[in-house]
Amino acid sequence: MNDLTRRGFLGLAGAAGVAAGLAACAGSGSSPTSSAGGGGPIQFWSNHPGTSKDTETKIIEAFQKANPGFTVSLIDGGKNYEEVAQKFNAALAGGQLPDVIVASDVTWFNFALNKQLAPLDDLLAAAGLKTDDYVDALYNDYTFNGKHYALPFARSTPLFYYNKAIWSAAGLPDRGPATWAEFKEWAPKLAAVVGADKVPLQMADGSNYLDWYFQNMAWSMGGQLSKEWTATASDPKTVAAGTFLQELAKNKWVKFSKSPDAEFSAGIAACALQSTGTLGGITKNAKFDFGTAFLPGDGACPTGGAGVAIPAGLSDERKKNAVKFIEYLTNVESTVTFTQATGYMPVRKSALNNDAEKAFLEKNPRAKVAVQQLAKTRSQDNARVLVPGGGARIGKALDQIVQGQDVATVFAALDKETQAAIDSQIKPKL
Amino acid sequence: MQPAAEVATGVRAGPPPPVGPPPRRSGTDRREWLLAAALLLPNLALLTLFVYRPLIDNFRLSFTDYNISSPTGATPVGTANYVEWLGRDDTRTILGNTVVFTFATVLISMVLGLALALLLDQKLRGRNVVRSLVFAPFVVSGAAIGVAFQFVFDPSFGLIRDLLTRVGASTPDFFQDTGWALFMVTTTYIWKNLGYTFVIYLAALQGRRIDLDEAAEIDGASPWTHFRRVLLPQLRPTTFFLSITVLLNSVQVFDLIYAQTRGGPVGTGTTTLVFQVYQETFVNMRAGYGATVATIMFLILLAITFVQVRVMDRGSTA
Amino acid sequence: MSTHLQVSQGDRHRTPLMSVAGYAAMIVVVLVIAVPLFWILITSFKERQDIYVRPAQYWPSPATTDNYRDTVTSIPFPAYFRNSLIITALLAAAKITLGVLSAYALSLLRFPGRNLVFLVVIAALMVPNQITVISNYALIAQLGWRNTFQGIVIPLAGVAFGTFLMRNQFLSLPGEIIEAARLDGAGPMKLLWRVVMPMSWPTLVAFSLITVVNEWNEYLWPFLMSDNEKTAPLQVGLTLLQNNEGGNNWGPVMAGTVLTVLPILILFLFLQRQMIKGLTAGAVKS
Repeated sequence: MNDLTRRGFLGLAGAAGVAAGLAACAGSGSSPTSSAGGGGPIQFWSNHPGTSKDTETKIIEAFQKANPGFTVSLIDGGKNYEEVAQKFNAALAGGQLPDVIVASDVTWFNFALNKQLAPLDDLLAAAGLKTDDYVDALYNDYTFNGKHYALPFARSTPLFYYNKAIWSAAGLPDRGPATWAEFKEWAPKLAAVVGADKVPLQMADGSNYLDWYFQNMAWSMGGQLSKEWTATASDPKTVAAGTFLQELAKNKWVKFSKSPDAEFSAGIAACALQSTGTLGGITKNAKFDFGTAFLPGDGACPTGGAGVAIPAGLSDERKKNAVKFIEYLTNVESTVTFTQATGYMPVRKSALNNDAEKAFLEKNPRAKVAVQQLAKTRSQDNARVLVPGGGARIGKALDQIVQGQDVATVFAALDKETQAAIDSQIKPKL
Repeated sequence: MQPAAEVATGVRAGPPPPVGPPPRRSGTDRREWLLAAALLLPNLALLTLFVYRPLIDNFRLSFTDYNISSPTGATPVGTANYVEWLGRDDTRTILGNTVVFTFATVLISMVLGLALALLLDQKLRGRNVVRSLVFAPFVVSGAAIGVAFQFVFDPSFGLIRDLLTRVGASTPDFFQDTGWALFMVTTTYIWKNLGYTFVIYLAALQGRRIDLDEAAEIDGASPWTHFRRVLLPQLRPTTFFLSITVLLNSVQVFDLIYAQTRGGPVGTGTTTLVFQVYQETFVNMRAGYGATVATIMFLILLAITFVQVRVMDRGSTA
Repeated sequence: MSTHLQVSQGDRHRTPLMSVAGYAAMIVVVLVIAVPLFWILITSFKERQDIYVRPAQYWPSPATTDNYRDTVTSIPFPAYFRNSLIITALLAAAKITLGVLSAYALSLLRFPGRNLVFLVVIAALMVPNQITVISNYALIAQLGWRNTFQGIVIPLAGVAFGTFLMRNQFLSLPGEIIEAARLDGAGPMKLLWRVVMPMSWPTLVAFSLITVVNEWNEYLWPFLMSDNEKTAPLQVGLTLLQNNEGGNNWGPVMAGTVLTVLPILILFLFLQRQMIKGLTAGAVKS
């Protein structure tokens, strides 16, 4: 009996020891990640936009070579921008902060609003770094209260892709439509050529960033989703743009799906709106000749993609090192290397004078169109990128419109929701 | 060692005992008490530290306007989040989605799981391979399933479209139509989790009391009678267990919905409670409201489970 | 003797007609379950431009193993694989041990508040990880346990599901056998190892399988805890194959999925044979 009891207690001592035993099995990676004071490696949290881990590593190596004494460790920050933001949010709750994070057009602002990102203007000036070479629209995307909170890094824009064979069969000129009105004239011709089970235009649905592309439609017709901190989707011009989209859908001239590049590459859609980031993928997948063009409407192309930012909670020393790194990461050589490998847009004006870039664009006329379109870009509406949940909110309204609900009613409801979010979540912190 | 009668009440064949006061103990049971405490302590400590501590924190935050990016800046708002939840348009939609999804999942995956377990309990050639096959979807991650099922449901490329086109029918748009989207997510989840109910039922069948089977055989019972009179009562604790765990699992589905529909179409078409918690906390930046939804969900589940335990108990004592 | 029993077990009422029905049902099951899995498999052997085509390609033509080569070479696959093995093994060992011991206490030992404790354990199943991760991150980061295996494993090691399952199993054991063992003078731990466990083998195997699968597929927490391939498991590593802005190349992703699923399926093939032991074996021993 005593023996049994002892054995029993041995057993449960073992059980209680499980946790302790696990603690003993320390991982091979238990080295401290960064030193608090500075001088340690620069922790760069990236989701490697465009499958770019190798390219980022290459740029980091060049940076370390050019700046002896600096080290950068590249950290896997997640599979998309949302996950980097989630991981950064977790770090804000406690634990060591990274030195540099990738922040998307949608995620940076909430961090800045809650004073979690360092304004870069003074840091850049103190390091003697100039910003006038950044493409203006891209740099100014990160402005809040007159200060900049990120540098443009993996930036993209939407692009108009069209199937050249279908275009010529429909007797259309070898270019994209100049306006959405022109596309509407072309649509019946395209529909006649492609046949019943295919479609003239493919766009992303409301759960997959239709809201991003719709800004182009709204702007090209004189509307917009918000002016500064006032929601304006119920403005007659924006409503007209919504009605236009609804008509295209009603006539089955446009279909919506998760990833329109798939339909386009398979030859099911005559044309598609998609990010410049998918150009490489479409080039590999499409078994036919296709062209790229500016979005319809003049100066109505939204920017997108991500920048790099520095947490506010770092020591001055670490901030100083970090800003040096992000400037290098986005300088002319780096942006040329990065964008050629991924299909993102060069973020520097003088990149176009770079010999490697010139040669690249000569060989890749489709990418050249995308780069030229950069001059026509416009910063996005606050309602989509700065108001929390804006993308999903607008996407929902667009799904409703496409399904035939009354545009004016849907947009009025959208404005109400957007304005409520602005008034409760943003205005008190301005 | 102990009076036999007490042993008999402590250990019963059949379903778990009622939730209520335990049998009376005598002083000699002190050692047993200590042993139980020692056995339970590590697990309870881990659950307390890593589940209940955050849960309590979450409860506190549900009364604030907490923004996930501002850990120190939460201001109390009283019960405003709860009042908002009661009055909001999407509350009904999301609750409705959750109920439909969960009810269908629990019912169908349990019935099919039992049927499969019964089938593959038979001595059929190739059953080992088929058992692995049934289990396989459960092993694949939700994200990969989302991609794989695009090849089934996609209105442009999918298998269903392929089959329907052959017979001249048109394909519903599983991603744009709210009803069909919910159908797609539910079907996919059932398909994926069949392996779970199947394995649990199979284990229960394998561990069943063969002497009862033999008794039934001697009685000359038909297969159906045997199933109803011998198997089903023996599987009762398993059925009870599954009805709770499948429910709790399916209420918390996230990866699959994220991969397939991101909660859409029209914003909330396939949004369930846990997806809403994520959406409010990390996308709408209203972690306080997300905490409110999580708290309400916890309370609802606790109530349902309590009722399930009670019903089970009444059934077993009747 | 036990072998004799199990062979006869499923065969009792078989008639030729039932055999035919059984095989027919099995074919239906195979079709429904296998088709989506088949798509994962063939996609992993397709060239990139053949993945999204219409009409659908039911067989890869030309077939290529490039996707597998890409998967294994473009990310540090062996390191992720090793981490997955370590994390899964540690968690499975911890959960199975804790689950069995907790279940034993909650079913066969008597103490005040037993049912309340049980309810506390299963209520943990009602807490979604979306609300626990941020708070746990802060705790683990303060301990300096980020990028360590203990940082990944310990917060996940509490076991509610397994406790519930094993408790249910222990309660369903025939009382007369346990009573007899106690009268024979078996102490609590001997009762567990010699009597209760052998009779609970199939359920323990099911518990182990489900635990292994769940831990193998764990994503959110290891992702937050790991910065790179030193500790990150496969599920985190595989996301490096995805592009962020559409235009995903699904071939390597599907190849990675196949490679991730295979070890678990092999384990299943092996373990499901163990499920057959069950009550017969236990009854014989006691």
